[in-house]
Amino acid sequence: MRAAGLGAALIYTSFARPSAVAWLTHFVPYWNEGLLLVLPAGAPLLLAAFSKRMQGWIRSVSHVGEVQSVSNLGRAAGRLLEERVPGSAKIGVLELDALPWPVAEPLLNSHANRLADVTALFASIRQPADDTEIRLAQRAADIAVKALGSIPPGVVRASQVLSAIEGSARLDGAEEVLPRLAPDLAAGTALRRLEGDLPLGERYAVELSIAYKATWVRLARCFSMNAPQSWLHAQRWTLDWATRISGDAPGPPPGVITFWSLEACIGSKPFSVVASAIGPRGTVSAGTLSCFSIKLQLPDGPWLGGAPVVIGSGAPGRLLA
Amino acid sequence: MPATLRAERGARLAAAMAAEGIDVLVVAGDPWRSDYLRYAADITPTDGQVFALIEREGHVQVVAEHPAEAARFHSEQPDLRVSWSPFPIEDAEAATRSFGRRRIALAPLAAVPYRLATGPLASSMASATAMLDRLMLRKSPSEVDALRRAAALADEGYAVFREAARIGRPEYALVADVEAFFRSRGCPENFQILASGGREVRGMHPPTERPLAPGDLVTTELTPCVEGYYAQICRTLVIGSPSEAQLRAFAVYDEALGAGIAAVRPGATAGEVARAQNEVFRRNGLGDYVTSEYTRVRGHGLGLYVDGQPALLEDVALVLEPEMTLIVHPNTYHPEVGYVVHGDSVRVTREGCEVLTRTPRQLFSVPTR
Repeated sequence: MRAAGLGAALIYTSFARPSAVAWLTHFVPYWNEGLLLVLPAGAPLLLAAFSKRMQGWIRSVSHVGEVQSVSNLGRAAGRLLEERVPGSAKIGVLELDALPWPVAEPLLNSHANRLADVTALFASIRQPADDTEIRLAQRAADIAVKALGSIPPGVVRASQVLSAIEGSARLDGAEEVLPRLAPDLAAGTALRRLEGDLPLGERYAVELSIAYKATWVRLARCFSMNAPQSWLHAQRWTLDWATRISGDAPGPPPGVITFWSLEACIGSKPFSVVASAIGPRGTVSAGTLSCFSIKLQLPDGPWLGGAPVVIGSGAPGRLLA
Repeated sequence: MPATLRAERGARLAAAMAAEGIDVLVVAGDPWRSDYLRYAADITPTDGQVFALIEREGHVQVVAEHPAEAARFHSEQPDLRVSWSPFPIEDAEAATRSFGRRRIALAPLAAVPYRLATGPLASSMASATAMLDRLMLRKSPSEVDALRRAAALADEGYAVFREAARIGRPEYALVADVEAFFRSRGCPENFQILASGGREVRGMHPPTERPLAPGDLVTTELTPCVEGYYAQICRTLVIGSPSEAQLRAFAVYDEALGAGIAAVRPGATAGEVARAQNEVFRRNGLGDYVTSEYTRVRGHGLGLYVDGQPALLEDVALVLEPEMTLIVHPNTYHPEVGYVVHGDSVRVTREGCEVLTRTPRQLFSVPTR
């Protein structure tokens, strides 16, 4: 902030965009919204759309300085900026373009000439992950692997898969469990959010995203009672490439790559695509906590895989699952 | 969601757009505010921002932030034109420009991003949002059917919750049992908060590691979703036998819930339903505890969003109409026993209301063994 000449930074948080504020304070608003005011010195101040009685809970689960319960986040932030950041210093806003209009409008009315987008600045400092975040991600990955391992053999319905995953992951302390399922790989590889139930094909795939103490990981596995040998090769090759993703692929793939992406948390959302099959978005620095996903067309059918990985520096990266 | 319900909503939307003179409706959403996207395009985001550009004639173009989401939307509805971009706002903006001089509107206010809201469609946002709100407030028979099934699931979920509530179990274990149950029934989402303890408890929150203890009041709000429609139930249980104070307090909440439900009828305002509940507390010397210091709302709308319109607050003048759906819940803090919740989902009928949730209205007690 000092280098950028910012008098303050504002960071919005919601269930859909919790990650930046969680990274700074560990606070996640779940069913509500908040706006974090970061000043050049002192603990950040949280404006929360929760009623005042929830302040005790907010303090018990986060590291913030002052907490103010407000009904209009943008208006309250505008007033606060007038009090605490007088003058003409720029006010950085993370993902200004994406700020919900009810929050943005009052800010625009009061401080239009001072607002500056700091998305790139934030992304430049968000990674690499520190040891604490990597340990939390490892715990989340362990929860996810165990949850996928809890799927009973011989299940025939998608609901059986999802119930086993959800129960296992929540019992291990996962805060959020987001499964997507390709219920029959012979019919398609699209990962679906299932409403209702569907029969499973002989081969199916699960992508599982887990949050543990606000740290998200995502991985994917294929399942079959008669898993072919080609899946083992695909898994080995994929994990090898995942650890070297910033470099060349480890030799020819075991099939045709139909899709791949690398996601990392670089802003307010848990996962942003930072590199993909249709062109990299930016460089991925060493130490970045990321999630690699891939789809391969193997000689005997499609295969999906994915794993969280800490990008290496000169050496292979570290797989978390 | 059944294709018939999708088609029914599409027809209602097209008629509303025609009445408003809108050729193309641009709807924004994300995993939290997905309700308008669900209604307008039957799209439920789970990752990142999503925009749907809906032409009145029925063509829908979708811009998603994540490739897996784009593939999912296409697999769910092959007729959609779906693309993905790490910069979905810019792409949605460009797609909007491609409609040239057609009459375009942008909604909903709650989810429209700054960049689009400050563009040429700014003046359309309020009326387009109001149009969608009107469509979403009164439910069709198919929508009511989904809500009924969600309410039945909420009842079953609460039975699972009661079974799960045992001494020594952490709060999150109760949620694990309930979520596993809902998944086993094909339910993709459940909004649930809870709390456990005594007078120190001021509200509900996501589950913590706190183990349940004898004498605890355990509160929860379960909100499962069927075909996108949420129904809610609020109940309180005691670990062990309830104390006299807990029973006395509960009687006030039960009376307030009954009074609130009795006030739900066409022509009544949301404010009157809130007032009916609050008067019970005032008569019992608990008027301070129905203020914003201790509680938020006395219920709210139900539908494609877990906390929809109208908010049941004394100053809300919205008039209830048949086929609106609500949760009535006089949840608040009680100075003797702590936070208590008690609420049922209802449908406004021509004569009054139908209570959708069926779990007995009682202060449940679970064994201490």
